[in-house]
Amino acid sequence: MKMKKVLFAAVSAGVMMLAGPSLAATELTVQRFFGACDADFGKNTDVGKAVGECGIITSLINKFNADNPDVHVSVATVEWPGYDQLTAQFASGDAPDIVTIHESALSDYQSKGLLMPLDDLLKSVGVTSDAFTDAARNGATKDGKIYGLPIDSWTMLYHINMDLFKQAGLVNADGTPILPKSPEELLAQAEQFKQKTGKPYFVQNLANETALFTRNLYTYLFQQDSDFFADPKHVKLNTPEAKKVVEMYKAIFDKGYTTKDLDYGGAINAFLAGEGGVQLNGTWVVGDNNAQSETKGTALNKGGYAVYPYPQLFAGAHAQYADGHTWAVSQKDRTPEQTAAIGKFLKFFADNDFDWSRTGHLPAYKAIITSDAFKALPHRNTIAAVADLGRPLPSAVQRQFAIQDIVGEEMSAAITGQKDVDAALADMESRVNELLANI
Amino acid sequence: MADRLTMPQTAMPAASVRAPSVDIYAPQWRNFMFVAPFLFFFTTLLVVPLLWGMWLSFHKADTFSSGNFVGFGNYIRLFHDKVFLQSVWNTFYFVLLTVPALALIGLFLALCLNRRTRTAAVLRTLFFSSSVLSVTIVTLIWRIVFIPNVGLLSTIYGWFGATAPAFISDPSLAMIGIAIATVWWCIGLPMMLFLSALQQIPQDIYEAAALDNASRWQTLRSITLPSIKRTFILVVIVQIVLQFQLFGQAWLMTRGGPNNLTKPIVLYIYDTAFRRWDLGMGAAASEVLFILILIAAMAQYLVTRNNADRT
Amino acid sequence: MRAPAISIKGRAFGDRVLLALVILLSIVMLAPVLWVIGLSLKENAELMANPNSVFQAPYTLKNYINTIGTSSVFIWVFNSIIVSGGLTLGTLILSSLAGYGFARLNFPGRNILFVVVLFGLAVPEQAVLVARHQIFSLLNFHNTYHGLILPGLSASFGVFLMTQYFKAIPKELDEAAMLDNASRFRIFWKVLLPLTVPAQATLGIFTFLGAWNDYLWPLISATKKDMYTLTVGMASTQTNFAQSEGIGFLMAQAVFAGAPILIVYLFFQKYIVTAVSGAAVR
Repeated sequence: MKMKKVLFAAVSAGVMMLAGPSLAATELTVQRFFGACDADFGKNTDVGKAVGECGIITSLINKFNADNPDVHVSVATVEWPGYDQLTAQFASGDAPDIVTIHESALSDYQSKGLLMPLDDLLKSVGVTSDAFTDAARNGATKDGKIYGLPIDSWTMLYHINMDLFKQAGLVNADGTPILPKSPEELLAQAEQFKQKTGKPYFVQNLANETALFTRNLYTYLFQQDSDFFADPKHVKLNTPEAKKVVEMYKAIFDKGYTTKDLDYGGAINAFLAGEGGVQLNGTWVVGDNNAQSETKGTALNKGGYAVYPYPQLFAGAHAQYADGHTWAVSQKDRTPEQTAAIGKFLKFFADNDFDWSRTGHLPAYKAIITSDAFKALPHRNTIAAVADLGRPLPSAVQRQFAIQDIVGEEMSAAITGQKDVDAALADMESRVNELLANI
Repeated sequence: MADRLTMPQTAMPAASVRAPSVDIYAPQWRNFMFVAPFLFFFTTLLVVPLLWGMWLSFHKADTFSSGNFVGFGNYIRLFHDKVFLQSVWNTFYFVLLTVPALALIGLFLALCLNRRTRTAAVLRTLFFSSSVLSVTIVTLIWRIVFIPNVGLLSTIYGWFGATAPAFISDPSLAMIGIAIATVWWCIGLPMMLFLSALQQIPQDIYEAAALDNASRWQTLRSITLPSIKRTFILVVIVQIVLQFQLFGQAWLMTRGGPNNLTKPIVLYIYDTAFRRWDLGMGAAASEVLFILILIAAMAQYLVTRNNADRT
Repeated sequence: MRAPAISIKGRAFGDRVLLALVILLSIVMLAPVLWVIGLSLKENAELMANPNSVFQAPYTLKNYINTIGTSSVFIWVFNSIIVSGGLTLGTLILSSLAGYGFARLNFPGRNILFVVVLFGLAVPEQAVLVARHQIFSLLNFHNTYHGLILPGLSASFGVFLMTQYFKAIPKELDEAAMLDNASRFRIFWKVLLPLTVPAQATLGIFTFLGAWNDYLWPLISATKKDMYTLTVGMASTQTNFAQSEGIGFLMAQAVFAGAPILIVYLFFQKYIVTAVSGAAVR
């Protein structure tokens, strides 16, 4: 027993030494999602070497710590999206200094006065909001003030395995993939794909998933000009437009055009292993997928990897659902040193947004999105269009993550046949409205 | 000390058992000091939160501001919420899946392993060992069994060219998947309880039965099972109370999905209070859970009391 | 463990069937754990390509080395030991004192208070969760060791158990000392407490295991990574396999997380079994 105590004391002392450097540095606590990858990138400060969201953000923060000996940032990694924890932290007065918050979730915390307006602080370090892209500025601004430093805009994409598309005969003469232009075409092409390759057209993570369903629905409602959130306190989802979308995805499910029981990680692995033609996933995996396609012997290396915005399937607006990540700062009493350190951190991320955009996200800064370096990144020519296509929910809509859960749950129930489509849409609408009525 | 201990028997043999002297058992405030420390924690950490929770359940309150009195408003919303009703049903369904399995498999193992061989000892250790693991490790283990691709189940099915059932995402299987993991995790306690009950049965009854040439089945039915009836009821009730509080397995394996089919009441409370910030309604759901558990606990009390009277 | 030797004739065949069933069940018990260990010994990339590769060399300790190097699992185990140990110690002290008080001494309102405490047995932790979280927020108790330990001290089970146990001790043992007007605490400490060691062991083991496995309260109270207990810490890494360091790494971490308590269990098996059986008889 004594031995054990000594051992643990030693271990914890060791850990403290690793975690707490010189006392002189200003301590900042940063909390983020994007995963943990300390085994691969825990000590890497060469950002250029890092790949993927986790690798790049870990390396960026390492570099910030290395470049700024007077500031020390300690990072807590939370499970995506981390809001359960953040809410509990705010409730107990123990929030981190800087935290990743989606633009769609900013107003939840901002409306309770929990976040610090950043305009003055950003100005003091020379970052002004006219440097942001329109999407980023709109997303980060609430009640006329900036409540998060935008680092990207993201959306969902068609990630395509070109080898399988070739086998399926879905390739144009110029080598680009043939994508559908209507729901009927989508089903026909998916059928053709299944016939020729024996594999499902879509790789989707449908196991206990809500976000993917919801984003798909929003995108195709936008494309039908359905203004389902005309009133931010009242949603209209029991509509013919929504029914069309759900029935389309239900047909895809029923006819076996999609993988069915994969969770998020499983879907990524299945796509990388060449088990389906199109993976529905976000901008954040472009970098990872591209790296795979350049590695010999992988499924994506065989015939190449392509990535496109969601195809326009309906006659309405050219649009698809989009959101963005920001660094928000909690409202707290701070010394001038601490506030200055936060300013440094935010400026560092504004300055290094190009590295973050290598993940596949669109940069949040005009100077970067128009830069040659960004345009020269692989696949940006095909996905740059989403900068104009991307559309968030109206920013006055609160509890967007809770709404996402409800919409996704009901849509999943309808698509997998647990519930009748009409019943699911009716429940979806009434549950969301009940939630919004009781905020 | 020894001479002191023997004293009462010599000095006042009659009084020592039934009627203690008024002097030493008279109510005295200073005696209260022994229970005061516990009562302090009991009051501040259980009674006060319980009352506070009741108060909250009649208010519209969110995580960052407490609001107005709404009477039974939260309860009315609660019983109109399909998801809450679903979660109540889910909880009962889960209890129905796990408790009989735990009781019967536990009894079966106890009957088989109630012998003095080395193998039996090793197996007893094995079957109890999973109980000491924490819920997060148990769910990690079982997710790794159930997930597609590198899952154990899908690998085994793969050998036969078949596709494994989707225990985490199929609407009709998800709760069963959670129940399997739970039975695996919790089987040790019922087994141990039955084993110790079996050892309370006097040997001579068995010897008499053997002399009567009773078959093994007869012995089991007419001697063993009746003798452990009380333990059986105890195991069932204890497990009902325990499994009613399902949270970790469902949260970590399925997040309550697909479409809330594996969302138990506790997860509903967590969801409402900490994810939707609706503290008042979360508190109202807590009160409903409290009443349900209270009923189960009362049943336990009545059963154990009646049985205690009989023995 | 004493087992009666049941000797009944003609049991050979039946025994074999039962044995086969028991062995089948033990495979179900063991296989998932072996699978986890197998995965932890493989390179991630290889696993993704072919899960069957678990059955073939090469094996690697890389995941374990990475876990030692970068995982916080050791801090979490350390936190869990502090919290579970603190709660166990506190529960033993409070329950023994109160058990003695309720069983042996009289004071105004004793019977009513005991009924109230019994009533506490029926209050599930989850029912007071929301309010308790709010109160602890006001007191700034979150993300502290006492914030994790205190809620468990309000549990009535220990008091109930110890009261029953003290009542079962013959009154003759301490009555003499009471008549001698020895201090009540002295009697408690010198005469009765040593006799309750078996009950202390039962209560201690149950409390420790309960605290070690608690998930819900630490989940909402310990929100900082260096205050995570093992359960919360492990949960924080496992939900999204793809966004973490890979399955092999997670499995190695799970082995590190599960090993200490399993080793403790194997060492103290005999006592644990006695404790559990002891609880059953009562």
